[in-house]
Order: sequence, then structure tokens, then C-alpha cells
Amino acid sequence: MSSTISTPVADGYTLADAGDFIADYTAWLWGCGATCTRIEKNAGRIARALGYDICITIMPKHISLTLSDPSAGCRAIYQRAMVNCGINFDLNARLSALSWKIADKKLSFSQARQLLEEIIATPYPTTQLTVLLTSLANASFCRLFGGDADAMLVVFAATFAGFELKGMLLKAGLDVRLVFMMCAFVSTIVAVGAQLFGWGATPDIAIATSVLYLIPGVPYINSASDLIDRHYLCAMSRFMDACVLTACLSIGMCAGLSLMELSSI
Amino acid sequence: MDILLQNIIEDGFFAAMAAIGFASISHTPPRTFIVCGLAAAAGHALRYVMMSPSLGNIHIVLASTAAAFVIGLIAVLLAPVVRVPAEACLFPSLLPMIPGMYAYRSIEALISCVSSASPDNAGSLYSLAFNSITCLLIVLGMVIGANIPIFLFKKISFQATR
Repeated sequence: MSSTISTPVADGYTLADAGDFIADYTAWLWGCGATCTRIEKNAGRIARALGYDICITIMPKHISLTLSDPSAGCRAIYQRAMVNCGINFDLNARLSALSWKIADKKLSFSQARQLLEEIIATPYPTTQLTVLLTSLANASFCRLFGGDADAMLVVFAATFAGFELKGMLLKAGLDVRLVFMMCAFVSTIVAVGAQLFGWGATPDIAIATSVLYLIPGVPYINSASDLIDRHYLCAMSRFMDACVLTACLSIGMCAGLSLMELSSI
Repeated sequence: MDILLQNIIEDGFFAAMAAIGFASISHTPPRTFIVCGLAAAAGHALRYVMMSPSLGNIHIVLASTAAAFVIGLIAVLLAPVVRVPAEACLFPSLLPMIPGMYAYRSIEALISCVSSASPDNAGSLYSLAFNSITCLLIVLGMVIGANIPIFLFKKISFQATR
């Protein structure tokens, strides 16, 4: 993926080693949901600590970086496909901490490479605690929109069912858009129970908020954040990704409402 | 007045619950949960007060921007304490204010627009424009408000994990 210029420098790494390392690092940082500003800052920090100048081009599916060695007068271009690992702030925090460890010379290059491998190999399974907290979060959302206690209970159950299904389907390797449609469909069907059985005074709020746990909030915020930093292509890409997922959950919800013979809420 | 105070506290409490739950979806380190909850409670309660007809009666876009500024301030100042990037505290705290209902209703109106060619269906077009523009402006306002503290305290924001 790179033109090969191997200029040996102190501490046992070459321009090619550093380029591969930073390219991997930035691809994972994007994948875990970092903003373009953070990617540029962290990558620049690492490159400077290793003694190189860097110029980064961030595209929605790929990253391209030009690393140059001012002392040797040589440069090379490295490209990577972005990693698709889902929003993960723990990964973001650990990768950011790694960049500072390199900048503060607390790690040698080989140790930094080893730590990066450890960080990206860490599994992040969805635990039952996450399912419980998400269900509670969506029930709280229902309350914020004016739902009563019955509606909150229904939303809790709808979210629990949908989120469990989401975990199973993603594990089975289904396309994320299809997963969003199916989860929204199931959550809506569960929530419609409030209307059918006359539970509580706000069944409409229960139905409307039952799918809000699927709204891709972080990509929407990241998109606007990139827009402010004039990364227009990335901003548009993240916005469109979020819109597609929102459309998928709306389709799932509409299908659920149609099946239960409710035209709208 | 007592009921209003109770409503404000309740709003902050449920916003905190929502922020912690959404933080867990995004694999935020658990040590960050308390900061997310605190920031979301403060921001959401402030928005509630600002939007309340008997108090501020301010439009949702402006109120969201001001609330996001407060959330950003808390997140940026407390991120170094829990040693995570400011975004890890900031984004989950903002999520309870994401206009999910507006986003959903925009798509619903979009689908409705093509469901009938009758001029009587013009209401769907209005609904699409109103909901999508409001949704966009709220998100933009929130991000601008939340980013101001990041730019004001740049050194703290980007050195939190050092």
C-alpha cells in the first residue's frame, strides 16, 4: 500500500515502519468514531515525535498520508482503508493516550507498535449490563418526551427486545441497515402492545420513542463537528450514513405500524 | 413553583439516565459515566428551563445551543479527571438532546410525500420541511455550542489523555 523508501533512523525504525504504523493508527481512530480534528492532531503528534513531517488527506472510505523526512529529504505516501469497528470511545481514549505516550517518549517505537496491536485486538462484546442500561436510557427518553410510567415500561421492553436482536443479528454478520430495519420493526411491534391493550395514557409516545435507541446520534454530531472544521466530504459522508440508518429504522417502524394496522402515530 | 422545580429535577435525572445508557452503547469507559450523567443533567435541565413557557420561552434551537455550551464546558473541564478525550464525555451527554423525533418524523414525512399524488398531501411536504430543518438546526446549534469550550480550552481538550 505504499511506495517503499526505507531510511533507517535512530531507535530502530524506518520511514516505511512509521508510515505503516501511523496509517494503521489513523484508520482505527476513524473507525472508532473520532472527529477529523482529533485524527489530524493525534497523527501529527506521533509523526513529529518520530521526527517526520506529515500531511493527511481524510476521505470517507480511505486515508492517505504523506510522510516526509526533512533531514534525509525523502518522502512516501501511505494509504489505508478505514476500519469499520463501530463507535467506541474506550478505543478512542486508549488510542489518544498512545499518541501522548509516543510524544512524551515513554515508549519506544516497537513498544508503541505492540501496544497498538494490543489495543486493536481488544474485544468489546455487548454485555447484559449494556442492554439493561440502554433499555433504561430509552425508557428515560420516553419520560423526557412526556410518557407515563406504563409507557416507560413498554419502551423498556421494546428496547430490550430490539437491542438483544441487534446484538444477535450483527454477530451473525447481517448488513447493519437490514439489522436497523428488523430491530425497529420488532421494537415497534412490542410497543404497539401499549396501544392495543390500552396500557397507560400515552401509548403514542411509547410507540414513537421505542426506536429512538437506534438513532445514530454520534455520527450526526461527528458530521456537524467535521463541518465546522471544514472537512466537508467527511461531514457529508457521515451525515449520509446517519440519514440512511435513520431511514432504515423509519422503514422498519412503518412496516411494524402497517402490520399492526396503525397508519401513523 | 414546587412543581416546576420537581419537573426540572426530574428532567435532569432522566437526561442523566439516558446519557449513561447511550454512553454504554458507545463503549465509553465506565469511569466516565458519572461525568456524562452530570453534564447531561445540567444541560438538559437548563434547556428545560429555557424552553419553559413560564420561564424563558426560548426556541428549541437557541436553548439547545446554550445547553450544549454548558455540557461542553463540564465535559472539557472534567475529561482530564477521568483521563478520556473530551468527546467521550461530551457526545453521550449531548445524545439526550439529539432531535430523534424530528429526524424520525422527517423520514416519515418523506415516505408520506410519495405515498399519494393528491394535492391534499401537501401537508407532508410542509411536515418534511419543518421537521428536517428544525432537526438540522438543532444538531448544528448543539455542535457549535459544544465546540466553543473545546476551542476556548484547546490545551485541556486535547491533552486530557496525556
